[in-house]
Amino acid sequence: MKVLIVDDEAPARDRLRQLIEDDALHSVVGEASNGQQAIEVAAETRPDVVLLDIRMPGLSGIEVAHHLNSLAEPPAVIFATAYDEYAIEAFETNAIGYVLKPVRRERLEKAMQQAARVSNRSIQHVAEQSGLPTRRNHICARVKDQLILIDLAGISRFHADQKYVRVHHGDGEHLIDESLKALESEFQELFVRIHRSALVSIAHIEAVRKTSDGLSIVVLQDAPDDTDGLIISRRHLADVKRRLKGA
Amino acid sequence: MAADANNTESQAYLPDFCAATTVLVIVLVAELVAIVLTLAAYSVPGTFLTELAKMSMYIQWLALLSAALLCRLRPWLESFGGTRAFVIAFLLLEMLCLMMAEVTWQATSKYGLSVIIDDSHSGFVMRTFAVSSIVVALTMRYLYVASEWRRSIVLEAQSRVSALQALIRPHFLFNSMNTIASLTRTDPLRAEEAVEDLADLFRANLGGKKNRTTLKQELEVAAIYQRIEKLRLGDRLSVRWDIDELPMRALIPSLTIQPLLENAIYHGIELLPDGGEVLVRGERDGDNLRITISNPVVADRQSDKDGNQMAMSNIRQRFDLAYGGRASVAVDSSQDRFQVVLTFPYEENES
Repeated sequence: MKVLIVDDEAPARDRLRQLIEDDALHSVVGEASNGQQAIEVAAETRPDVVLLDIRMPGLSGIEVAHHLNSLAEPPAVIFATAYDEYAIEAFETNAIGYVLKPVRRERLEKAMQQAARVSNRSIQHVAEQSGLPTRRNHICARVKDQLILIDLAGISRFHADQKYVRVHHGDGEHLIDESLKALESEFQELFVRIHRSALVSIAHIEAVRKTSDGLSIVVLQDAPDDTDGLIISRRHLADVKRRLKGA
Repeated sequence: MAADANNTESQAYLPDFCAATTVLVIVLVAELVAIVLTLAAYSVPGTFLTELAKMSMYIQWLALLSAALLCRLRPWLESFGGTRAFVIAFLLLEMLCLMMAEVTWQATSKYGLSVIIDDSHSGFVMRTFAVSSIVVALTMRYLYVASEWRRSIVLEAQSRVSALQALIRPHFLFNSMNTIASLTRTDPLRAEEAVEDLADLFRANLGGKKNRTTLKQELEVAAIYQRIEKLRLGDRLSVRWDIDELPMRALIPSLTIQPLLENAIYHGIELLPDGGEVLVRGERDGDNLRITISNPVVADRQSDKDGNQMAMSNIRQRFDLAYGGRASVAVDSSQDRFQVVLTFPYEENES
């Protein structure tokens, strides 16, 4: 199997590499020292298995696992952790592969044999049960076979577009394969639904106005002058107003 | 729950005056006082037992009423804490004794029994007041010393436990072991050093029978700790030691700088993709020493704050125990930096 090693500590990566290369069946196709890099390397090298440290600066291992699922052929994920009482319990109950540091050869082999893709839902469970932040800080979009990380703070809105969702952000637009409903519940503190098909970042709202034909619209900051506002459906109007007042 | 109750009981200043054993002790002490007083005034042969009976009745009455009062007011008194609880209890008991002396006088004179009390009105009240203040003051002093002694035992035990907790941060141990496992193949020499460092660090921690150690030793432990972490974090970790001003012979509660350095790394450096610099600065300010440990932090992470607080309260507790009110542990946390300032008196070992 092709393995990608992700850990922010060089000795920890070396250790995993040694153990994996001892077994002729496996080969290490790449290493990454942070989450961002991991996503890039994974898209490039298409590993079968990703060994993921949980506690890393920037993107946590949990978040990386979430994003890896956006790849065309998502790799299996095995988490590596030094000591996380609650995370371990959560792994057990959700049947997610993990190894404990210092990594034991037999344990790693066993985890490699059982390695399977983990679903976003079970990752979410782990995060919830272990008290890790469940909300992602980035959204991952796939362009051909590259993964692009979009910083949540730069996203002005999500727009449902047939079976995809279009993400509007500082550097353009991207399609992602997630449902608007799931996004709404994950980011409910930061975004508000203004329409059946639109979720808008509260921080990006400049104003709410009424047009001459009696429709309520949201005007976003930095929006080009010629763009029309976004229509707020009557059903969501009260909620939008309430959220803006609270903000 | 049981442990909690135990804990609050051992933390209490005043004993439980409602308890049968306490009441028994009070009765015995009151009787002893009665005997002493009767013996001292004994002049007419053959009257000792009658005099003792009169005296006992009066003093037991006062003692039991005092116990009943304190039994009722104890929770309220406890809320004042420490010395104040004792002072207030003393004043209350004195008021009670004065009142009772007055009531006794009035009752005996009203029913024509004034022969029992062989004294003038004011003389009787003043005598009661003087004797009761001495006895109550001595008792309060005794209870105060006993409670301080009990509390210091509890505090010491707690601080020992917290020192143990501070020592065994599983993350550090397991990560270090993982690093060593890796180095045994790639760099056996370094692995050897790491094992030695780890052993030294644990020895310094476990051997900590002494509550205080010299700054020199404490800083050495911190430096060993830094070396181990450096293997793991590489260039991401740098520590600037700005400590030339500190007298190395000065005493400091053991295991304070190392855990703070550990905190700075665990909650700060480790979460920064490019790492950062921990700054340890020592200053001497007259009779006080000040050590500041500061580190950069990631702006938007809340999940790690709890652990930080635990370590801080732990160190605070041990500073309290070692210096009483003469030292302080101040935390200053801004958007992108976290800083702890230890201020404590400059003291040296006599030898």
